[in-house]
Amino acid sequence: MKTAVLSLLFPVCITWPAFAGPCSGAEAQLAKISKALTLNTVDTAENSLRALSSSYPDCPEIVLHQARLAQAKGSANQAAELYYRFTDTDPNDSRGLAYFGRFFLEQGDYMRADALSAAAVDKNPDDPVALALRGQVLVMKGQSSEGQALLEKATKLDPDDPEAQFQLGTIYDKAKAATKAVEHFRRAATLNPQDARAWDYLALNLEPTGDPDGSDQAYQKGLRVNQAGRYHDAFLDYNYGRFLAKRNDLAASKEHLDRGVQSVPEIRAVWYERARLNLRMHNYQQARTDAEKAAACKQQGGILDLQIYSLLSQVYARLGETALARKYMDLTRETPPPVRGEQR
Amino acid sequence: MMSRKFFTIALVVVLATPPKTLWGADAGRIQFENRQKNSGVSFVLDNSTLPDKPMIDGVPGGVALLDYDSDGYLDIFFTNGATLPGLTKEGDKFSNRLYHNNHDGTFTDVTARAGLRGEGYSVGAAAADYDNDGFTDLYVTGFDRNFLYHNNGDGTFTDVTAKAGVTGVSPTGKKLWGISAAWLDYDNDGKLDLFVTNYLDWSFATSRACGSPGKRLSCSPTLYKGEPNILYHNNGDGTFTDASEVMGISRHIGKGMGVAIADYNDDGWMDIFVANDNERNFLFSNRGGKAFDEVGVESFVAYTDSGLPVSSMGVDFRDWNNDGKPSLIITALGGETYPVFRNEGNGFFSYDSYKAGIGFRSFKMSGWGAGIQDFDNDGYKDLFTANSHVSENADLDGQQHYRQANAVFRNMHDGTFQDVSGNAGSDMQIRAAHRGCAFGDLNNDGKIDIIVSAIGSPAELLYNASTGGNHWILIKTVGVKSNRDGIGTRIKLIAESGLVQYNHVTTAGSYASSNDPRVHFGLGADAAIKEIELKWPSGTVQVLHNVKADQILTVTEE
Repeated sequence: MKTAVLSLLFPVCITWPAFAGPCSGAEAQLAKISKALTLNTVDTAENSLRALSSSYPDCPEIVLHQARLAQAKGSANQAAELYYRFTDTDPNDSRGLAYFGRFFLEQGDYMRADALSAAAVDKNPDDPVALALRGQVLVMKGQSSEGQALLEKATKLDPDDPEAQFQLGTIYDKAKAATKAVEHFRRAATLNPQDARAWDYLALNLEPTGDPDGSDQAYQKGLRVNQAGRYHDAFLDYNYGRFLAKRNDLAASKEHLDRGVQSVPEIRAVWYERARLNLRMHNYQQARTDAEKAAACKQQGGILDLQIYSLLSQVYARLGETALARKYMDLTRETPPPVRGEQR
Repeated sequence: MMSRKFFTIALVVVLATPPKTLWGADAGRIQFENRQKNSGVSFVLDNSTLPDKPMIDGVPGGVALLDYDSDGYLDIFFTNGATLPGLTKEGDKFSNRLYHNNHDGTFTDVTARAGLRGEGYSVGAAAADYDNDGFTDLYVTGFDRNFLYHNNGDGTFTDVTAKAGVTGVSPTGKKLWGISAAWLDYDNDGKLDLFVTNYLDWSFATSRACGSPGKRLSCSPTLYKGEPNILYHNNGDGTFTDASEVMGISRHIGKGMGVAIADYNDDGWMDIFVANDNERNFLFSNRGGKAFDEVGVESFVAYTDSGLPVSSMGVDFRDWNNDGKPSLIITALGGETYPVFRNEGNGFFSYDSYKAGIGFRSFKMSGWGAGIQDFDNDGYKDLFTANSHVSENADLDGQQHYRQANAVFRNMHDGTFQDVSGNAGSDMQIRAAHRGCAFGDLNNDGKIDIIVSAIGSPAELLYNASTGGNHWILIKTVGVKSNRDGIGTRIKLIAESGLVQYNHVTTAGSYASSNDPRVHFGLGADAAIKEIELKWPSGTVQVLHNVKADQILTVTEE
């Protein structure tokens, strides 16, 4: 009996290469490449892919990683073409659908990102890549608790995915759960030190935990890597400028707020913050210019009309513009403060 | 001839010496010791509560320091809660308490004899001699009842609320929810008037439950309408007239918590600051005793520099940087930081929380009582806050804590403060649901002590055990033409070294509490005072020269 079994197995073993897939033997290297792309070590991934693609010309997973590489390098058209190629070849691969979905998300095509993320989780509800994307999409759709649950699961299955850690951090950030947010942003920034967003959020959340020095360091690390690309943070200078004002380093604060204004001039918050700083520095004319620009901005960036009225009333009062000061003081009085939640 | 080497060393030593010690003040440590244990003060603030955590259970806890028997030592009065929703002081546990100071560190409960047990859900207390008879009277605010207790001078008090007409009821007949009260002579007629802050239009019928069952949190005050404050004018015959409308007070609807008074614009008329919870704060500027103009927005104290309100709770209004201009410290909830508004002297205040070094340190604190007092007698006033979150279940949040340690910030003489709570003694590390606190010198040793009330735990008697041996003076004012307590008198002191300080006579400030009416100055190394100038509310200016330090000086108005 034992001999019979062995004899049955033997032909299977010796004919294995004939049945092996086109990526067979490259699994370990592919995993390394995938990890490198996840961690945004693009050069490593590119070199390894180049070497591997000549040896495994028919391996579809190489196409998937080429698509991710093109995406990481900002070649959107090439990335799209490669993602299509991969998903045509293997429409049931949850990772392919998820990465393609993330590509669409980065392109601002939320409908397709939504569809692909749903399909990816449907194909494999235990794929951390699919879960992370779906979680993020659900949060964006306002289904926060469902999204959070998926992101929690994703980070448990793969704690080394910096994007999943980052997205989970943003949920805790919104909930003002700074300690938990710090945990995830720190992990995201450690895994992918090129992610300026993660450093920025880490800094923002370290501050309320009572660690301003840690916050300062995180901002500086973020500023060192804040370059154009998928991890660029347009608000990093703005946030650091605000932070430095609290640390009473007004000159440095001004430098960063100046950059913040250049970076996102369409956002009210950056003008507002620089106006506040100029007011504090007794640069009243500049404060006036900035405050008036803030008032004219359509994108509020979290700054309410009440805050603008209060600021303008102070600026005009300091400048001796009595009528204008009175107008905005009246508006300040008449505008009710925001209702911030039912409980505290 | 002095050698060059010696001169260089001497110069280095001088330059290396922090400026604060150049004039001789000893930079001793601020230390507090809680001597409640053997004091005979067993008071525990009982807020009562219900599973739904109604708004009322978060806000009680006023304390008053008053010398009710005129023996020269401060006695202690605590306000207390009541049953909910019944609002009755059933049994002893809800009784307000008066403790007589036995001059040896112990106190005797004299509540029953004094007749100060109280009724209803009490919140705040304000002490002063409103009828100029030489005995300190007491006003008690509450949710359902306010009381004016007249001091009979024999250790007993008489409830004269109805006769005096200070019931805390609005002209429409609604009892407003009283929190804090302040005695001041707003028209400088020699008779103390009364200002009462009122909080929310809330009742058990309209009460909402926030958070989830079993994990209820205190609701935001934004769910309820605010109420007007009340200003009672003292008629001088034991009665008061509600002057809220005529004086321009009642048209400003806020959510009043703490109140403090000071003449912020140095025009000789006392002004009133009201800390409003999640609404813009009010600064009532006194227009010559004829009316009040609410100028919170105009003076930039309505909101923080972000243009938004915070959960303003307690407040003190004194000059901490020795520039003669009273400035503000306000307590708030965690995540907001404690606002510090520096009086620029030109009608404007600067939001200086971060500049003063309070911002980052107070970010995680939630506070109630607050005081600007010189705890180390170095000639610069420090800050103290009584801390606790409003929500009993705040810890569910993970970021907030219901029970917190109090905080003390040392004045660094350069417009900044340093949080020295961690080094201020083990009793400053007590985590409790602190509420109101009152400041005064309990044992007449020249150091400002603090009584802190706490929900569910014994009140803390924080005796000032600061080291350093700096000199001091306590000034007790006796008005003749002015009100007898001299409330509103502005005092300028020039020490022997030339250091100039300012303070004023008031019992108001902190949260729902009433402080020592004597004005305290720390003098550092100065054993003598060159000059003391008193500007009485009557307009009289009185100047004393060459005054010895380390004494309680009684100054009677000339």
